[in-house]
Amino acid sequence: MSLSRSLVALTALAVTLALGACGGTDGDAANTTGRGAPSSGPPIRIGAKNFTEQSILGELYRQALEGKGYEVVLKADIGSTEIIHRALRRGALDMYPEYVGVLLSEVAEVRARPRGRDAQYESARDYERKAGYTLLAQTPFSDSNALAVKPAFAKRHGVRTIADLRKLRGTVKIGALPEFRTRYEGLDGLEDVYGLRNLEVDAVESGERYSTLDSGDVDVASVFTSEGQLAGTDYVVLDDPRGLFASGHVAPILSDRILEAHGPGLRTAIDAVSKRLTTPAMRRMNAAVDLDDRLPGEVASAFLRANTLL
Amino acid sequence: MLRRSLRTQITTKVVALSAAAAILLGAALVTLIVAVTGQRDAARVAFGSQQALSLANQLEKSLLLIESGLNRYVTTREPRYLATAKRELATYPVATRRLAGLVSDDPGQQTRVAELSEAITDYDAFWATSLIEIVSEDGFEEARSQVETNGGRSRLDRVRAQFESLFTRERAVIRAREQAAERGSARAIGLGIGGLVIVLGVALGFTLYLRRSVLRPVRTVADATGRLAAGDLSTRVPAEREDELGELARGFNSMADSLERGREELEYTNAELTRSNAELEQFASVTSHDLQAPLTTISMYAELLERRHGEQADGDLDLVDGIRGATQQARTLIRDLLEYSRAGRGHLNVEGVPAGLVVEQALEQLAGAIEETGAQVSVGELPVVRADRANLCRVFQNLIGNAVKFAGEETAHVSIEAQRDDGDWRFSVRDNGIGMNPDHAGRIFEPFQRLHGEEDYPGTGIGLAVCERIIDQLGGRIWVTSSLGEGSVFSFTLPAGSPAGAQPPRVRASA
Repeated sequence: MSLSRSLVALTALAVTLALGACGGTDGDAANTTGRGAPSSGPPIRIGAKNFTEQSILGELYRQALEGKGYEVVLKADIGSTEIIHRALRRGALDMYPEYVGVLLSEVAEVRARPRGRDAQYESARDYERKAGYTLLAQTPFSDSNALAVKPAFAKRHGVRTIADLRKLRGTVKIGALPEFRTRYEGLDGLEDVYGLRNLEVDAVESGERYSTLDSGDVDVASVFTSEGQLAGTDYVVLDDPRGLFASGHVAPILSDRILEAHGPGLRTAIDAVSKRLTTPAMRRMNAAVDLDDRLPGEVASAFLRANTLL
Repeated sequence: MLRRSLRTQITTKVVALSAAAAILLGAALVTLIVAVTGQRDAARVAFGSQQALSLANQLEKSLLLIESGLNRYVTTREPRYLATAKRELATYPVATRRLAGLVSDDPGQQTRVAELSEAITDYDAFWATSLIEIVSEDGFEEARSQVETNGGRSRLDRVRAQFESLFTRERAVIRAREQAAERGSARAIGLGIGGLVIVLGVALGFTLYLRRSVLRPVRTVADATGRLAAGDLSTRVPAEREDELGELARGFNSMADSLERGREELEYTNAELTRSNAELEQFASVTSHDLQAPLTTISMYAELLERRHGEQADGDLDLVDGIRGATQQARTLIRDLLEYSRAGRGHLNVEGVPAGLVVEQALEQLAGAIEETGAQVSVGELPVVRADRANLCRVFQNLIGNAVKFAGEETAHVSIEAQRDDGDWRFSVRDNGIGMNPDHAGRIFEPFQRLHGEEDYPGTGIGLAVCERIIDQLGGRIWVTSSLGEGSVFSFTLPAGSPAGAQPPRVRASA
């Protein structure tokens, strides 16, 4: 485990350096791809949720599509799945990248989730298809929900898995986004699957989850597995032996209307981006924004150029 | 040449100056109109901006109502809060469209309004409406956890920041427009005053130009005309100018030239006449005087002849008498001729003379004749006049003598009177004598003119000519009114006020 963590961290560091270098010498890559023929269809309104990874994903799809000549409007910083998915359904958006597991548990409200990423993907795809939406290819990386603790805490209490939290006396405080309280991949599931009743959610903003854990205000943080903070040895991610947290692979949801309007080229262009998004790549980009204070647009642009997508 | 004269004409200058003044006034007026129009436009734009600000304020308040309405609805579950939020949500599309029409045409502001409209729409689509749907589909519990994320609040804060930037910019635009309008009006006032000053300056310059270049030269010519009229024919005016006034000055000078030339010619002619008169009188005087001596000799030899041969040659005595008579007549003629020629010359002793005394003196001289004919002479009240006593006596002596001499059948009645006639005294000597044909009345004052034969009325015919000469010298005139057989009135005037001697010497053109 610790070896793999180190490898991940090293890889992240290497790609970060490569990214920085590419930022300065990306002229050739930009020229070879260039801008495609402008599409005649309506502008594509892409939504993104209000945390780092979503901001980066929004920028990745926007810049890649604009590079192909599509007209794109990016609506970033939209709230939770509950909010953004409703906006998509209402027609205020044409597309947004969603986590397959979240889509199943919080939107489709499928509790008896199929095991395996492909099965979950197909289930979610079927769900969307009925409503007139297409779930495009999912990313190699997975950003699933997880619980993390400080290594000292793990050592002191002998906590390695989620189930170990039951051994703790008293209330265990979890720093999480407010919706964690009402989600299945939250308090509900933790109670149902692991029988945890001694948990209390301390609602914090997305950017404050790690800092409240660091300060000791909370015992456990609700995290996402692709977050850059997890690349090092500062935190311990608890195992999920009973599979509460579903697949965190991302798949863009598009309205069939917009797919038809722009033809198969649009799907190809989006899939080309998605399939390059490996866990190390995503974690590295998250780290570049969260830890190195770089802008999501800048990070996305560097990645696309490095992968000749722009 | 034509171009040059055109350029220098006063008319051209007057027209050009008037045109310049009119153009300046026009320019000042146009500037004022432009400034006033700008002011009005600025006021209109400022009004639009104020309306925009007020509408934007309202819109912002409406958004706050939506947000607080939704929060309260989710926490209290009271439908009235939802109603408020929904009511306000329905208003913003119209309000943002109106706002775009009201904010200044500043491109930045139009962009800001567009961005603001989009942000509000996003707030609705990605927060408010989704939240209302969550409540209706998943219940209040789920919605509350959404509200706790502050997703709406942070989105709204961004919208409000955009409002703030819109307000700030719009206020800056209003302030800038107001300042521009104030500057414009200040400039307009300045330009108006400046224009007025310039126009006044042009008017002043015009007046000065008229005074210096037109009125002064005209005054110079007028003064010169006055001097010319007073007799100073050498007066000239400067005539260097090329314009109308130059023409006037040249015309004046050439007129003065010809007047002066005429006077010189006249003076020359007068001098010539005077000289020839003097020569003639000198000749007469010298001749008369020189003739006296041979006549006296002839007369003396005739007497000697008579005395020596008085007894023997009685038949020749008639011849001697004839010589004596002719000699006597020649002497009388010469004496009268001398008298006439002296009457026109010599020094006059002009003083205040009582005319009564002078008449008395004349009557004494004539006492013999008066007594002989038994003539009646009456003398009225006579004034004191300024005259030469001896000459005046001579005039009365001649006139009264004539009245007595030409008495006719009846006893002569002579009356002498004087009366004031404006600035003169008019003396008259009236008789009841033989009178004369009025046609001859002018002729009788000429020397040696006689209306009757020597045998009827003795005399050389020089008396009245002497009278005329004397009266003329004393500054008066003499004339007669008469008709045949009705008597005559000889009248003459003498100046009453001014001394006769002060009169300028007169030249008789007819002498």
